[in-house]
Amino acid sequence: MSSSKKSSDGKSSEIEEAVASLTMPFNKILLTSSDGESFEIDEAVARKFQIIAHMIEDDCAGKAIPIDNVTGDILSKIIEYAKKHVVEPDEDEDEEAKKKLDSWDAKFVEKLDLETIFKIILAANYLNFEGLLGFASQTVADYIKDKTPEEVREIFNIENDFTPEEEEAIRKENAWTFNG
Amino acid sequence: MTLRSLILEMRSRPHRVVHDLAAAAAAADSTPGSSQDYRWSDIPEELLREILIRVEAADGGGWPSRRSVVACAGVCRGWRLLVNETVAVPEISSKLTFPISLKQPGPRDSLVQCFIKRNRITQSYHLYLGLTNSLTDDGKFLLAACKLKHTTCTDYIISLRSDDMSRRSQAYVGKVRSNFLGTKFTVFDGNLLPSTGAAKLRKSRSSNPAKVSPKVPLGSYPVAHITYELNVLGSRGPRKMQCVMDTIPTNAMESQGVASEPSEFPFLGTRSTFSRSQSKPLRCSSSHLKETPLVLSNKTPRWHEQLRCWCLNFHGRVTVASVKNFQLVAAAAASGGGGTGLSPERQNERIILQFGKVGKDMFTMDYGYPISAFQAFAICLSSFETRIACE
Repeated sequence: MSSSKKSSDGKSSEIEEAVASLTMPFNKILLTSSDGESFEIDEAVARKFQIIAHMIEDDCAGKAIPIDNVTGDILSKIIEYAKKHVVEPDEDEDEEAKKKLDSWDAKFVEKLDLETIFKIILAANYLNFEGLLGFASQTVADYIKDKTPEEVREIFNIENDFTPEEEEAIRKENAWTFNG
Repeated sequence: MTLRSLILEMRSRPHRVVHDLAAAAAAADSTPGSSQDYRWSDIPEELLREILIRVEAADGGGWPSRRSVVACAGVCRGWRLLVNETVAVPEISSKLTFPISLKQPGPRDSLVQCFIKRNRITQSYHLYLGLTNSLTDDGKFLLAACKLKHTTCTDYIISLRSDDMSRRSQAYVGKVRSNFLGTKFTVFDGNLLPSTGAAKLRKSRSSNPAKVSPKVPLGSYPVAHITYELNVLGSRGPRKMQCVMDTIPTNAMESQGVASEPSEFPFLGTRSTFSRSQSKPLRCSSSHLKETPLVLSNKTPRWHEQLRCWCLNFHGRVTVASVKNFQLVAAAAASGGGGTGLSPERQNERIILQFGKVGKDMFTMDYGYPISAFQAFAICLSSFETRIACE
């Protein structure tokens, strides 16, 4: 992860980092999005992002970490999810907790449009946050379920680049597929 | 400003700090994609793959959810290639996905369970993939066949569509031709040769680079020969059935054996990159196969003294006694079946195709490696047609 130096109010970010190390509680980490939003989170939450976990292991995580590839609105959503999933309940041992979490997950994603989910997938991949990446991928798979090719193209704004002959052949393939 | 006052100032700020607008604008410009429109067509391949894998796994990978997999293959070229890489052939997955799956060998360790509905009025037969254990539930439609009588022979035309039985249609899959007496049958495969257009869809880094043959006119090629005979007991005993599978070598039965499989229908761009065989055109006569063709014969029923009837164990899949019922196994390995690691008895025991009656016009059909759904269906149709041992 590159550490681009942004200046603000004439103070260098090196000083900010040093200050953060002095002022932050021991197990907190400060993440800064590409558009300058900062989020203070527990180390345990930050560790859900493998990319940060590795930095912590390798002892090269400062207390303030810039996340250059993710904007604040997306990062805040990712952190919200991470906070809820710091401890994953065991389905066998605590069915109740798992159900509650699944319900929270469903509500969480219900409010998101496809554009946001797309950005979350890219960001979760960048941060190496496997749990959210899997969940977001499944959400998209659910969008696709039971749709025709035309509907999928419509939803995902994808261009049809088949030749007319290929298109005709695929139409016949689909006739068999969607027939009974 | 002292360091102490600096620290105090930092502490008093709220947690979510937004820098001044200039810095934010500079940041936005320097980070790629943050202010651009998102485009699903730009999604990295490995992330799209993760999504498609989950589409394929929906509801255990069965129908009707599996429609979504085929739908994804029809979205655009990029998606089609990825879907083909994700979906395994029936031999490996036991799952039928695209129409081409009907011409690919079934699974090695299990049987695909299907059922056939007969319509006596229209003289047609419809093959369905069973989706549940109950035969009263709808299945996934696979193939339709209808009878066409000629002066000296009878044809069963097999099609992907029940409403389109023309031999010139692209839905035409093949046919079964019976001789006058109904004792010998030939199975013809209607479309075996790939067209050049479809080949272009393959990626250059595919492990199976396209060997494209120039566009060849479609033909109908014999792929199997079936014969029925009375056994020594005449019409009082079960009939003898033999199927010579012209396109499947005997060594396909070995653990490393390969049943040759077609790569695609002419009008489809799908090609499984898991196919281990080359895309050679399947010109099928036994002389063309380097190996001897595989021969299947029906398992001999045992005579049940107390019940006074011939019995085969259909494992619950056949419930009505009928002379049409049969189980096919690889014929006794007289032609050097060594090297399989299996004793001749065990080798012989493995059921490759099982067919039998469960209701007035309902039959089950279970098939497995090395034959395909199409070949299985064709063999079953011959069982309907033959008049051997029917009194």
